[in-house]
Amino acid sequence: MTATPVSFTASDASAPEQSARQHWIGVLARSRRAELLAHEAALRDADYQLIRAPEIGMTLVRGRMGGSGAPFNVGEMTVTRCVVRLADGRTGFSYLAGRDKAHAELAALADAHLQGARQAHWISDLIDPLARAQDLRRAQQQAETAATKVDFFTLVRGEN
Amino acid sequence: MSTSLATESLPASLLQPAFADPVLDAQRSFRAALKALAGPGVAQSLLATQTPPHLEGLAAASHALCLALLDIDTPLWLAPKFDTQAIRANLTFHCGCPIVSDRQNARFALLDDSQLHDLSGFDLGNDRYPDQSCTLLVQLPSLQGGTQLAWHGPGIESKNHVSLPLQQAFWQEREARNDFPRGIDVFFVAGSELLGLPRSTQVLFKPQPSRGVA
Repeated sequence: MTATPVSFTASDASAPEQSARQHWIGVLARSRRAELLAHEAALRDADYQLIRAPEIGMTLVRGRMGGSGAPFNVGEMTVTRCVVRLADGRTGFSYLAGRDKAHAELAALADAHLQGARQAHWISDLIDPLARAQDLRRAQQQAETAATKVDFFTLVRGEN
Repeated sequence: MSTSLATESLPASLLQPAFADPVLDAQRSFRAALKALAGPGVAQSLLATQTPPHLEGLAAASHALCLALLDIDTPLWLAPKFDTQAIRANLTFHCGCPIVSDRQNARFALLDDSQLHDLSGFDLGNDRYPDQSCTLLVQLPSLQGGTQLAWHGPGIESKNHVSLPLQQAFWQEREARNDFPRGIDVFFVAGSELLGLPRSTQVLFKPQPSRGVA
């Protein structure tokens, strides 16, 4: 599988809708398996079919030195992607790092549910707690990293 | 991925599942395509269990061939009959193939029988890379019912008698573009059957009552 960006929108999404969806897809992509499994019963509580069954592949990660230099290839990473369709036609997409097919299917289901009438419910029940947990993890990680920071400075040169 | 949601908008509601077993079903279809080209004129059947769910406008075998043969490196040209939103959406989604409007850029082309009187513009490859030619997937109502012709050439022990429902104009168009090793390979598809006509196959026209050859 070569992961190619394929262009689809659920509808002619205007910009705010799109950035909201980008937000929750990002949160789902960073979620942990156990966090989504806790919602498995609710997520699967709908008729759905797999448009693209969860599949594992590689994608090339590119970066820019310092965020602004010339792009270079960082390396390949494993991704799992999935597309589901609920009975009412809503289509959910997911792309996750790693090779966890069940996780990808749940994330795609969540994306589909989030496009429906009960969006507010799903955001408060699923996305907001996930986002908070991720913020917490990131803050912890940054704190741990900051604690190991070493400032180099010159005390006194030996000449004197 | 963040930008990809914004660029083009084909309704996601048109998407439908493809092969039930993406790896094995694609391999089985590819195998059938190989056998069809290796034994020109002998119809190969795809089992119902290995063909994808029905996609409006495409025969089962056309759909299976598209899924097995197309990827991001194979631009596809669609005849107007097949240029529907559903076909575009599903082939670009499942195969990732670019769909081109210019025949010259296509590596595969999906045609119906109304297009066969004019094969101009398709890439015939070049003497160094004859494999870069465009391969035609021609969907017909049936693989029988036309004038019986004898095919011979590589892959055929003596002669294969094939009666594809094609007009004389197709054979003239093919002949005009057959400049071995350059040329066009064709798959004829009807229902869940396919039949190969590689450029190396020679077609004997039996003497028959003249049918107004133009």
